Amino acid sequence: MAIINLKKKEVQAKIVYYGPGRGGKTTNLEYIYKKFRSRIQTEMVTIKTHGDRTLFFDFLPIEIGKIKGYDIRIQLYTVPGQVKYESTRRLVLRGADGIVFVADSLAVRRKENLLSLKSLADNLASYKKSILEIPLVFQYNKRDLLEEGIPLLPVEWLEKDLNSKLKAPSFEASALKGPNVVQTMKKIIVLTIESLRKDLT
Amino acid sequence: MVQQGDEDNFRSQVEDRLDHLFEEDAPEAVEEQGGMVEHPLKNLKAALLSIEWEITDSTMDSLLNEIKNVEYVYSEDKIILTFLQLLGSIGRYVKANKGRAHPEATRMINSVYEALEKVALTEGMPRPEKEKKLLEEVGKFKKLKEQVVLRKAEKKEPPVFEVSPAPPVPSPAPTPGRERIPVPEIPAREESQAEPRTEARFAGMSPHEAFAYALEEIKDVIRAEFRALRAEIKLWRESK
Repeated sequence: MAIINLKKKEVQAKIVYYGPGRGGKTTNLEYIYKKFRSRIQTEMVTIKTHGDRTLFFDFLPIEIGKIKGYDIRIQLYTVPGQVKYESTRRLVLRGADGIVFVADSLAVRRKENLLSLKSLADNLASYKKSILEIPLVFQYNKRDLLEEGIPLLPVEWLEKDLNSKLKAPSFEASALKGPNVVQTMKKIIVLTIESLRKDLT
Repeated sequence: MVQQGDEDNFRSQVEDRLDHLFEEDAPEAVEEQGGMVEHPLKNLKAALLSIEWEITDSTMDSLLNEIKNVEYVYSEDKIILTFLQLLGSIGRYVKANKGRAHPEATRMINSVYEALEKVALTEGMPRPEKEKKLLEEVGKFKKLKEQVVLRKAEKKEPPVFEVSPAPPVPSPAPTPGRERIPVPEIPAREESQAEPRTEARFAGMSPHEAFAYALEEIKDVIRAEFRALRAEIKLWRESK
């Protein structure tokens, strides 16, 4: 749930990057942080296990600046993707205003993508939110691996598997190399702020 | 109509602000490397990527099988064979220990693979440079082996598995003019030796000890979760 302070004219929205483990959620945030560090002027917080896996979450606050007289702050979070951290995922998802679902394009990850999307829908439902209504953007990550001959799921399959009912905007991306990482983030920020707009007037 | 105009205006304000804030410079140069479209390492890389999700018997078997396949392809190249031997050793260790494997082990697999890929795909790489890369990985492997042994000693873990000894290290500096640079002999793989099973970690323990051991593992996970929760609460308080 966004924090809207009408008196101070401040809006703080929470966007969560969700998806299967090793799908590239943290890499998305790291790319944004490294690339725009001087402009973002905030610190990225990350809590990892010894094996470099996200234990709890990654957190990257971004100051967007004034829009319609409101100071807009966006908080980007990731959830831990590993199956065993379901309760942690649910906790991080609490109060989310927008979701980026980072799907893993590797052919061997088809099932994990589906399970993770189902877990997203279930966890949102536990907060009485519908996956059909919350601002959502799909990112089909790791597309760069196609050039290396690694078997990937065709985008049409990913769309059919994950997005046939939701009809959310989607991007083919490479969180490691950068294509469409920023576009994904911009899209979800626009959708999220738009969804909060009614509360600002 | 006015409302629609307002919405469009609002949206364009947000978009303009984001475009300004996240204006991307010229795309960064992507490091060019030999393609892998039809390369024998292709399936090995796919198997490696598959163990990043979760380490299971199935994914590890697939990795070990791919290593064997590539060994067959490179049966005449002893440097690459030694890289593969390293990968196989660590792979078997990770398979046997899974989540309990030393955290450096999975990083080491990636490191060895990256070096292997570079050596295999870089055309015209001089042999001394290949050997140098191999030596670096062998050095890391030895260090990992020491860490594993040390950790076992500290935790008094049951002797479930021993990391295979590092392959003999090639002579550091090749003598100029030498026709054939000595390459390490790869220790024979103990094919007949049964792979240690996951349950083997409890072998030799009484049921009571095994239970206590499992309990400790669960406690470790819970402690880690609590540490993370405390961190979030702290962050939340700071943001208030």
